Amino acid sequence: MLNVLLWLPLAVALVAVLLPRRAVAPFSFLGSLVTLALAIALVVDFDSSIPGLQHEVSESWIPDLGISYALGVDGISLFLVLLTALLWSASFAFAAFRQPERRRNYFFMLGLAETATLGAFLAQDLVLFVLFFDLMLVPFFFLIGAYGTGNRVQATIKMMIYTLVGSLLMLVGAIATGILVADETGELSFALADLRANVLSEGTQAWIFCFFAAAFLVKMPAVPLHGWVPDAYRAAPLPALALLSGVLSKVAAYGFLRVVFPIFPDAAIEFQELVMIVAVASILYGSVMAFTQSNLRMIIAYSSIAQMGFITLGLFALTADGADGAVLHMINHGLVAWPVFFIIALLAERYGSEDLREMGGGALRAPVFATLFIIVTLALLAMPGSANFIGEFYILNAVFQTKVVYAIVASTGIAMAAFYALRMYQRTMHNRLPEGKTSREIGLRDGVVLAPMVAVIVGLALYPGLVLERGEASVQDKVGAVLAAAECEERFYAQDGEGTQPGVAGIELDCE
Amino acid sequence: MTVDTSSAETFGWLILAFPLAGAIAIALGFRFWGKAAGWIGTGAIALAFASAIGAFFAIQDLPSESRQVTSSLYDYASAVGLDIKLGILVDPLAVIMALVVTGVSMLIHLYSVAYMDSDRGYVRFFALLNFFVFSMLVLVMAGNLVLLIIGWAFVGYASYALISFWYRRNTATAAGMKAFVINVIGDIGLMLAAFLLFGELGTFDYLALFEEAPGHFDVNDGALVAALLLLLVGAFAKSAQVPLHTWLADAMEGPTPVSALIHAATMVTAGVYLIARTHPLFELAPTAADVAAFIGLLTLIMAATIALVVTDLKRIIAYSTMSQIGYMVVAVSIGAYTAGIFHLMTHAFFKALLFMAAGSIIAAMANRQNIDLMSGFRKAMPFTSALLIIGALALAGFPGTSGFFSKDEILVYAADRGGMYWIFAIGGYAAAFLTAFYSFRIGFRVVWGEPCEEARELERGHMAHGEPENPVTGEKEDTDVGFPGPEHHIAERAWPMRAAMGILGFLALFAGLLQIPGVTAAVEHFLEPTFEGSALFEHHPSTGSAYLGMLVGGILALAGIALAFRLYVRRPGTTAGLVERYRGLHNFLFNRWYFDELLDALVYRPTIAAGRFANNVLERVLVQGIVNGTTGVVRGVGVLVRGAQSGFLRAYALLVIGGFAVLALYFLVVSS
Repeated sequence: MLNVLLWLPLAVALVAVLLPRRAVAPFSFLGSLVTLALAIALVVDFDSSIPGLQHEVSESWIPDLGISYALGVDGISLFLVLLTALLWSASFAFAAFRQPERRRNYFFMLGLAETATLGAFLAQDLVLFVLFFDLMLVPFFFLIGAYGTGNRVQATIKMMIYTLVGSLLMLVGAIATGILVADETGELSFALADLRANVLSEGTQAWIFCFFAAAFLVKMPAVPLHGWVPDAYRAAPLPALALLSGVLSKVAAYGFLRVVFPIFPDAAIEFQELVMIVAVASILYGSVMAFTQSNLRMIIAYSSIAQMGFITLGLFALTADGADGAVLHMINHGLVAWPVFFIIALLAERYGSEDLREMGGGALRAPVFATLFIIVTLALLAMPGSANFIGEFYILNAVFQTKVVYAIVASTGIAMAAFYALRMYQRTMHNRLPEGKTSREIGLRDGVVLAPMVAVIVGLALYPGLVLERGEASVQDKVGAVLAAAECEERFYAQDGEGTQPGVAGIELDCE
Repeated sequence: MTVDTSSAETFGWLILAFPLAGAIAIALGFRFWGKAAGWIGTGAIALAFASAIGAFFAIQDLPSESRQVTSSLYDYASAVGLDIKLGILVDPLAVIMALVVTGVSMLIHLYSVAYMDSDRGYVRFFALLNFFVFSMLVLVMAGNLVLLIIGWAFVGYASYALISFWYRRNTATAAGMKAFVINVIGDIGLMLAAFLLFGELGTFDYLALFEEAPGHFDVNDGALVAALLLLLVGAFAKSAQVPLHTWLADAMEGPTPVSALIHAATMVTAGVYLIARTHPLFELAPTAADVAAFIGLLTLIMAATIALVVTDLKRIIAYSTMSQIGYMVVAVSIGAYTAGIFHLMTHAFFKALLFMAAGSIIAAMANRQNIDLMSGFRKAMPFTSALLIIGALALAGFPGTSGFFSKDEILVYAADRGGMYWIFAIGGYAAAFLTAFYSFRIGFRVVWGEPCEEARELERGHMAHGEPENPVTGEKEDTDVGFPGPEHHIAERAWPMRAAMGILGFLALFAGLLQIPGVTAAVEHFLEPTFEGSALFEHHPSTGSAYLGMLVGGILALAGIALAFRLYVRRPGTTAGLVERYRGLHNFLFNRWYFDELLDALVYRPTIAAGRFANNVLERVLVQGIVNGTTGVVRGVGVLVRGAQSGFLRAYALLVIGGFAVLALYFLVVSS
């Protein structure tokens, strides 16, 4: 099942290239709906009591190098896979209604990107993960470079340099991990399960951790590694940007849970405070920047930095509830970011600009549009009652119980989010219309894209437990690895001579 | 023996269901309803009111010790040790609040049916108004802190949306933003308080918290005091207490029924409700309770002094609201729970009434709100004038009216607790005198005196119709979204307004009879199960001291009214001289103790400056600096690439995709 889910988007994209021009967009969109249906089936079929992988696929791929083709889904990746399929379908619809130039290439790139992103979420082999992680970015370089606006080539190059440096570090880290583990076991394997069972020495973990963290934090992005963001966000075509912000940033956060915590637990503890500082800095800096921007894309760009800060903060609380909240918040942010970019496209069509200063009064003849927009806005600012609030609530509660100061400082980000999100709504939809502009209701064509997305936000708001409950067991498993390591350390320092094996959440670990 | 609580549970959920259904139905059929929307909205709230009455009797049927009924629908967000259910708590306190909220809301909906009749946002108005009532009821019925925070924030949003209801006014949207952001600060306070309590007690559930707390905390335990102070941040943001009060006066930008409902009768009392709700915790941390009481006292005095000088009719009433909520906060903080909730109830009646009367006058003035322009409406608008005076009497605490009994009960309790608590009694009585004075500053100036031009016109049957203009800036309005429509509506000409005002007038006069010292104690008896075991609740001033207090209060009220009579009826114009003589004091009060300026300097400006700094300095360094550092590389590549821009990209693409294809091929070969 996972094989079909993973490769279907690429297969559809390959077929679409051969079709007549007019058929490309509808065919690609319908194909993405099938992928979406498969992802939904995956969720329906999911057994939330199992902490480990489900629907596992494991084949040896390059045995000489110990690389396997291993796929699987658990409570952490389950909804991220669904989010990917959902947002890609939405973006296909978005692009299909606006028929870009050279559309065969465009839709092919989107399809390729979907497969790569799904691959990153499904991969259970470290090298496979790294490959998909890198492949995922390639179509976006093209989409921005070829279909972007403004200074697109420079933006692409900047993004490429940033992310490639990160990727190379990660590749080195991955290879080093495999080889160093092989030194101990005598058998080269990159399967995550094998790597996890053999925890590296603390010093080794530390430097490899830094390599991985660099790659993830650049991708996310986190302050101060966000240098590529402003240019890329300004240049990217909106259907691609909605995915870049909505899904791709989550792969990085996901990487911490999937790769870093189980394999480098000691390093996660060691660097906990440092990463939390980066996270809080991202929250504050992103929020402050967001409310000084007048370009809509930039507001969302910086708001994404702040929201990713919350997610990172939740992960590095190193508790199960913080991580579960982070998983929920990844979904939330994806579900909100996509509609916001879609709305930006609609506003740009109405005002001929993406600048707040040239907008206003949009609600006048557009009650439906305004209502959909305000729901998205409220979710963006994590209004209590939205799933976003529950995500932040879990995250901040976890941080509050472990590192109270970070929670208090981070909570100011919520007030700032209220300000920048509402400001965006108010300046576009309220006050008076600028001269020569008219207020226009959302059309049916756009309504059928936006309304279902808003319905999903509302649905999840009514029952955020859907994600939390399914994530629970897997998250406990991943964070359990870290907790067990922490306990080892404690016993080491406490000179506990009883020689018992510490076991947290079912993890047994050798305390040396 | 188990008690059947199912009817209390059912009514509890129905109280929530009707307003929500109303809001959704009105919103979905917005093209279709037309004028029916007002009646649908009113009907939905009437049904909720009926459900609240049902809950009242269902609760009364239960034995006193099981009158705290909990019910939950489903696990809203429960995982990894956090237990968050969609659950409600139906107990006497929640029911009495639900009764007040739905009852007053129903009358305000009825009033709005006529008042907003020609506003272009008629349907939107009722959808939002119903949503507000739903939110407020979530806040009231919530069985745990998380649901409380959700209701709390929903109320904040509803308030925002209704303050900026006339969204083409820049002043209205700015006021909405201010209210929303201050309310979010309150939400954050609540959230952190919830975290702290969860960390100590491991639950968000009210009843579980109350049960665990006494065994876990010492008296004035540091963690508990901290948690409660955070809780108070939330309470004060919503209830417009110092220093989080600056949004309330600006909130008067909303339509007058909104001011009556949200910014007088219901939402702003949420903080009072919260303190009463969590009283078992506050009793364990008297320090936090005392802090709350002192802030209440400060607010009640400060707001009363500001109300003496402000000239905008609605803003005078708004400052009066702040001041009256100060009384309630003092009451529930010093343990006078019955008196606090009772005053909450009577205040809801007479304050909603005052706003309704003000709305009727403002309509007759073609939307001008400055009381300097108004006078002599008694002949032109006899009904409105009479009801305005009734409202002012109750606010002033005129002997026999509802406000008289409820306010005095608070102050007598404070005096009777003695010691430090005398301060609250003295401050409260002093402010009561000011209250009586400013109530009749409104009453006499609007009703008595030579009729102003609008009043004379109206006596001849013509309503004034000026060009709509913004009462704050004088800017000409953009009328596409209402204000409040081309036709103005006054109570004399619209029966729904008369009906709503008449009922409230009756209640403002006679609701005090529910709780007369030594005679009746209906409110107290009903509330008893919620405050079971609270020594402060059981504490009663003697009937004798209660009557002594009532005597003092009555004299002060009469004195205040007499002073207003002398200044505004006998010798109009004296006040101008006073203003001249005490210019400094007047400016200080007129500028609202310079609180806006203070917050501006302490919060707003630094934040904006930080934004500018981040934008102009940090971002330059981070975005350009770092890259430009590595830009040796960037530029180098850039130069190479510039010649063959897309060529480079294409080559790179081929490389990566080709590479991946080779790997895939290898896999196929190897695995076969």
